[in-house]
Amino acid sequence: MSLSEEMVRAIVELDESRAIEIAKKRLEAGEDPLKILDDLRRAAEIIGEKYERGEYFVSDLVMAGEILKGISEIVRPKLKELGVSRKVVGKLVIGTVEGDIHDIGKNIVVTMAEAAGFEVIDLGVDVPPQRFVEAIKQHNPDIVGMSGLLTLAIDSMKRTVDAIKEAGLRDKVKIIIGGGRVDQHACEYVGADAWTNDASQGIRIMLKWMEEKKR
Amino acid sequence: MSKQPIEEWMERHRKEPDIVVKEKAERFLKAVELKEPDRVPLMFFTCGHVFAKWFKLSEVYFNYSKMRDAIVKFVTTFPSDIFIAAPAAEGFVLAVAFADVPQIAPVVRFITGPMHDILKDKWTRWPGRELAEHLPFQFIGGEYMKPEEYKYLIENPVEFIHNTILPRACENLSKPGSAQHAHTIAKLALEAINYLNALTEINNTLLKLGFPPLAITFAYAPLDFIGDFLRHPTGAMLDIRRRPDEVKQATEALIKPILQVAFILKPTGAKFAFIPLHLNSMLSPKLYDEFYWPYLKRVITELYSNGIKSFVLFEGDHTPHLDTILELPKGWGIGVFERGDIRKIKEKLEGHTCVAGGILPGQLIGWSPEKIEEYVRELIKDLAPGGGFILAPGIAEIDPAIPDANLRALINAVLKYGARK
Repeated sequence: MSLSEEMVRAIVELDESRAIEIAKKRLEAGEDPLKILDDLRRAAEIIGEKYERGEYFVSDLVMAGEILKGISEIVRPKLKELGVSRKVVGKLVIGTVEGDIHDIGKNIVVTMAEAAGFEVIDLGVDVPPQRFVEAIKQHNPDIVGMSGLLTLAIDSMKRTVDAIKEAGLRDKVKIIIGGGRVDQHACEYVGADAWTNDASQGIRIMLKWMEEKKR
Repeated sequence: MSKQPIEEWMERHRKEPDIVVKEKAERFLKAVELKEPDRVPLMFFTCGHVFAKWFKLSEVYFNYSKMRDAIVKFVTTFPSDIFIAAPAAEGFVLAVAFADVPQIAPVVRFITGPMHDILKDKWTRWPGRELAEHLPFQFIGGEYMKPEEYKYLIENPVEFIHNTILPRACENLSKPGSAQHAHTIAKLALEAINYLNALTEINNTLLKLGFPPLAITFAYAPLDFIGDFLRHPTGAMLDIRRRPDEVKQATEALIKPILQVAFILKPTGAKFAFIPLHLNSMLSPKLYDEFYWPYLKRVITELYSNGIKSFVLFEGDHTPHLDTILELPKGWGIGVFERGDIRKIKEKLEGHTCVAGGILPGQLIGWSPEKIEEYVRELIKDLAPGGGFILAPGIAEIDPAIPDANLRALINAVLKYGARK
């Protein structure tokens, strides 16, 4: 088995120390850091599939996220040193909506989206509609992600989508909402394009949107 | 136009509250005993957010008489069979900290607005304080224990919480031994008495309005205690992989103080122990069966063998762990289920567990009253037979964004279709 395969396997098996050890070894051996990042994407994909099949749970995604983050942090200085950057598949502006300050779910999505090759602009928690609007104007993202745990988040999401519409930006972005109490009814009420309470499914929806955009 | 069922029911609340109270109490107990009551009971549970329909939340949470007004407004507008209001934030850590002071421990089990002002705790955030005035309080927890400190928690949980956690998590307890520290503890004790008096008054008011109080005490899942108050859920989820043995020893060590708190109210006639779960649906069955369930199971069975049934809020989708519930003695208590297919849950647990749930906040916000009526009719048709079912929207909150007409449609539908066939 190649080191690349071994690393992907260690990540998927959530073997933190082994995965990080292999990543370090590969960098020391002078391997292309972009290849390592590509492996992170592959590992994240497999983990996402396992989550969708019900084999993995949130706690597994949290651990996986920690490993992916740990390895990216080792790789990043090397990329800088070499002056290379990774090809971005799309741009995502994400935040926990106004009134809600929970971020476990959002943080998982941020890590998984970065691993999938998205450039992520994380607005943090308790983000007012206007800040989403400003971030869209400033960063021109392909996708806006809104997260929230509390039931009140559903109403906040609606107000945010309305604000985006009022600013005339609704056609410029796809909107996905996510969180423990989000469902199809909430999605219709909010006026989003998709909903999920599954981070990896969310990533797949976003990747599909990016594919469609290319066509 | 003929009267809606809800109007007739409200009229009976006004005319004969004593009889209504008796009916509701019997209805609830029948369901808990896994039988079919005269009608499917409807349960409303709120942490106060729904009061934003009429009141400024910053006022409701910080003024106990406003809180009473808000509760009265809610129950007289949207009546239910079982009504639970806990307009205060998760604070079980304080109950454990004061487990040896039985007069205070159960009262500080929830952190009220005034208690938050006294403690300046970082676990919770409040409207008109850290949050905008119209928002509900939020429990955010946080990381107040370092991973390498498990050994101290294991050695003596209560001491560790007092000496290390409270000073870190509460600004006004940050200097043990200082005058400020002593004043804060004294003020908290006085506030506990204030709140207890307010609760007694609220319960008496509710009783007069036709709403029976539940004889409740409180317990907790040991791993949630670690996730919610000490390590943050993310930290706890990483710890079970990075320090599995220490996590197990700590959850073991927490069982005793948790039960000590739960039994404080036993002499007052407590019949149900309220246990909200948080990490349950985030764990794989493998991790749940190893780190979460064995310890929670011991809490529940110990309570049961002491005559206290558990009232467990299964947050998220508990479906992957449903089978474990069957390990409990039949009639162990009530499971409130937030997500998952309630029909399948009921089917699996029928004759063993009283199942509560059935309609989600998103449905209640987005659907038309007609659709809600139709949905409730079908739900009752499927789930009422066999008994042991309580209809409840969501798990611990009623969203103020739910239109009044939809809440009325829900109540009307239960009254219209819920009677035993």
